[in-house]
Amino acid sequence: MSHTAQHEENHGNGEVKKVTIILSVLTIVELILGFWMIGITSEALRLAIKGTIIILMMAKAFYIVAYFMHLKHELKNLIMTIVVPLGLFIWFIIAFLYDGNSFRNLRNTYDPYFKERSTIKVEKKAEGHGAGHEAGATHEAAADTTAHAKDTAAVENKH
Amino acid sequence: MSTATVETTKSWGGGKSPFNVEYGKLMMWYFLMSDAFTFGAFLISYGTIRFSTNGWPDPNEVFRSFPFAPEGVHAPLVFVSVMTFILIVSSVTMVLAVKAGHEMNKKDVVKYMIWTIIGGIAFLSCQAWEWNHLHHEGAWWGRNPFINADGTASSTNFTNYFFTITGFHGFHVFTGVLINIIMLIMTLLDKFEQRGHYLMIEKAGLYWHFVDLVWVFVFTCFYLV
Amino acid sequence: MSHEAVLHGDAHGHDDHGHHEHHDTFLTKYVFSQDHKMIAKQFLITGMVWAVLGGLMSVLFRLQLGYPDSTFPFLEDLLGKWGKGGRITPEAYYALVTTHGTVLVFFVLTAGLSGTFANFLIPLQVGARDMASPFMNMLSYWFFFAASIVMLSSMFVETGPFSGGWTAYPPLSALGDASPGSKTGMDLWIISMALFVVSSLLGGLNYIATILNMRTKGMSMTRLPLTIWALFFTAVLGVLSFPVLFSGFILLIFDRNFGTSFYLSDIFVNGVGALPNEGGSAILYQHLFWFLGHPEVYIILLPAMGMVSEILSINSRKPIFGYMAMIGSLFAIAILAFLVWAHHMFVTGLNPFLGSVFVLLTLLIAVPSAIKVFNWLTTLWRGNIRFTPAMLFAIGFVSLFISGGLTGIWLGNSALDIHLHDTYFVIAHFHIVMGVASMFGMFAGIYHWFPKMYGKQLNNTLGYIHFWVTIAGAYLIFWPMHYEGLAGMPRRYYDFSIWESFKQFGELNKFISLVSMIVFMVQLLFLFNFFYSIFKGRKLTKQNPWDATTLEWTAPINPGHGNWVGEIPEVHRWPYDYGKDGVDFIAQTTPVGADESQH
Repeated sequence: MSHTAQHEENHGNGEVKKVTIILSVLTIVELILGFWMIGITSEALRLAIKGTIIILMMAKAFYIVAYFMHLKHELKNLIMTIVVPLGLFIWFIIAFLYDGNSFRNLRNTYDPYFKERSTIKVEKKAEGHGAGHEAGATHEAAADTTAHAKDTAAVENKH
Repeated sequence: MSTATVETTKSWGGGKSPFNVEYGKLMMWYFLMSDAFTFGAFLISYGTIRFSTNGWPDPNEVFRSFPFAPEGVHAPLVFVSVMTFILIVSSVTMVLAVKAGHEMNKKDVVKYMIWTIIGGIAFLSCQAWEWNHLHHEGAWWGRNPFINADGTASSTNFTNYFFTITGFHGFHVFTGVLINIIMLIMTLLDKFEQRGHYLMIEKAGLYWHFVDLVWVFVFTCFYLV
Repeated sequence: MSHEAVLHGDAHGHDDHGHHEHHDTFLTKYVFSQDHKMIAKQFLITGMVWAVLGGLMSVLFRLQLGYPDSTFPFLEDLLGKWGKGGRITPEAYYALVTTHGTVLVFFVLTAGLSGTFANFLIPLQVGARDMASPFMNMLSYWFFFAASIVMLSSMFVETGPFSGGWTAYPPLSALGDASPGSKTGMDLWIISMALFVVSSLLGGLNYIATILNMRTKGMSMTRLPLTIWALFFTAVLGVLSFPVLFSGFILLIFDRNFGTSFYLSDIFVNGVGALPNEGGSAILYQHLFWFLGHPEVYIILLPAMGMVSEILSINSRKPIFGYMAMIGSLFAIAILAFLVWAHHMFVTGLNPFLGSVFVLLTLLIAVPSAIKVFNWLTTLWRGNIRFTPAMLFAIGFVSLFISGGLTGIWLGNSALDIHLHDTYFVIAHFHIVMGVASMFGMFAGIYHWFPKMYGKQLNNTLGYIHFWVTIAGAYLIFWPMHYEGLAGMPRRYYDFSIWESFKQFGELNKFISLVSMIVFMVQLLFLFNFFYSIFKGRKLTKQNPWDATTLEWTAPINPGHGNWVGEIPEVHRWPYDYGKDGVDFIAQTTPVGADESQH
């Protein structure tokens, strides 16, 4: 154990403090961006902020894995056996999201009911805690009507 | 045999671990990698459904309450920031516990393990409060009282994914707390002193940090973007 | 305790086990055994039971396909209401097809194949006393056993087992009322599969840790037999892909029981009306399923490839051709396995551009596959071949892998796949390349390592009969299916005799069914050979019956728990020194001589 303990002292409490501060700062920056985003309506700017938040998220993940989980101080081979398989996530994410997006486009193009439903505004629910159950009930009623509408649509399609 | 092989036999030549770690830690790492794929699949499914849907609720409209809030006061992101910091801090105490274990310092191990467990329980309590609150607002699996950000009706998948993924994460936190409690008891019973090493604490630590890591992703995907 | 001792704590712990064999009770020796060899045998025998059941199911539904107009009174005795009037009912037909697929893919060719050989060979060939964690290894088997019991029990519920295909696509799997087996049958199916995922995870982690950490002195990674490399990649594939299926199943459970709509949307049921589920996507399930499903194909195939490489080299008395290329191609296949899943989904509404990317990635698999095939062939080339039953099955594997692999290139093209999808062409393709080929790999492995497992010899004559009938049968069954598929005959149909266009295949279907019954009978002959030889087989007299170089043959004929008596042998060379410098074979444990030539 002796050499590991020695190893430990080289990146001791100072490192833990440093990483804790970095993680806190990153989280605070994320939160500031999150608050800032509330008032913004420009889609492009929102996307840019979301992208930044995701980059910050990756940075946080890096610090947790590298320092808290101690991966950075393991042998390079171990690092590789863990990082390389995680690379599979790249295509995993791209393919899934791309196909999800494509599915939306398909439905918007060929499913008039889907398209129509996403343009109908519904009433904003009442404020406050007390109205909770009521709101739920409203939604169920809304679901009922939409189901009914769909019912009719389906029947119409048959004819 | 070429000279290159002779050199690499030092770490890979058999008779010892090429990574200089014992098999349990190796298994823990690969288990976590496997678990990363479980969570990855959940979050990617969530993303896929979000991408295939026209509208989505605004998280700032949904998650804006906190305990003991005065009537009518809404503060998006506040409560979840508290939860995030609780988990980060408990991760830090876990690091310190592992470090104390390396130094064979039983007193510090016990101290920091207790703090980690408290952090875990605090996080779970926060989550329980949030679930309970959302449930009171009418949200549950298959029920979604919230409307999309653009004012259109939302499908139930917002709440479906929220409860499934935070629930699965909460389950991990719960098992993590259980593991930590077992580790604490084993420390108190001097099990690790007898073994001469605190490697079990290190493995429990890996699991605990992984739980924190997943929260980083869950937090971003559900509350921020 | 020193650092070194910590690293090998468990391995040293086993040193005593060999000497305390007589303390074992029946329960600890045969049932809750932690000896990797016994666990391997448990996996093998459970796998065999499932293989017989799964095979029997295929014979039953082939009976329906071959003789749609005839009645067989024994069916009513056997199946009760599922075989009313001596004819398999449509519900029973679908249940049989589904269970046949699930059982053979997961229980026989995953657990039965890699469970058996990874457990048996990894410690013996890398030179370890046992697995890294023998306890987890035992747990892995018992989770598999529990999964088996649950799956078996699903066949005896009132409404029958799940009948929506082994892929369990929603809505058939998500709506309890969709088909007779969708309720209880599907519940049991999911429970069984969840247990199975846990089992394969426990096993896989163990295999990886053992191969990396527990190798004996001198056993560097490039001195590992190819079997071990293949089993290593198999374990990695399992550890990374099964969790995705697990997530998919959790979402499915919520859809089934808690009113969510992850996979459900826009469903209109006649007589019921529109379902309230909105916003889900059935394609999402297919993505999640095939993200496991495609690596699963290689989880099935890679162990067979590894064992075949080993057996071909041993029985050709030649080193394997292109050892590093073999490892490289295994690695390439393992990576590509994760990138190509959507080629199972070309006709589901997948984005066509994304589909074309998947076509490209799919066709890339041809490269490492071809490398492997050519390396096998060149290993055989000018070899001093010994046609043992194991060798015949290994050669059969190569033949089947080529014939089935070529049709994979057809199906990997999205444009062609639109015509061929869900026809008998697909059935022919995957049965040849993955089903029968892996079975051949498994048979080769059993014939080859049976002496090590039981210290007895299998009967060779029965082995030859088994091989020739099986290979002829495999081609006679599946080759004609290509033509049926090209003519558009769809899979999973209950009765083809009512279509004018498929009437031409009536006689052919009858022929296929007949052959399948003969092949099934011959498998029973193999089982007889197997069990008879365990008890009454010729005793092994030579420690190394095949003159092989690898470590397992340096262990005693009937190794106890701990494998080697005394020290674990040290390794000095790679495992393929056959015919080197005019010597027939040089064991891995032989030190390199001063005047030995380089390889």
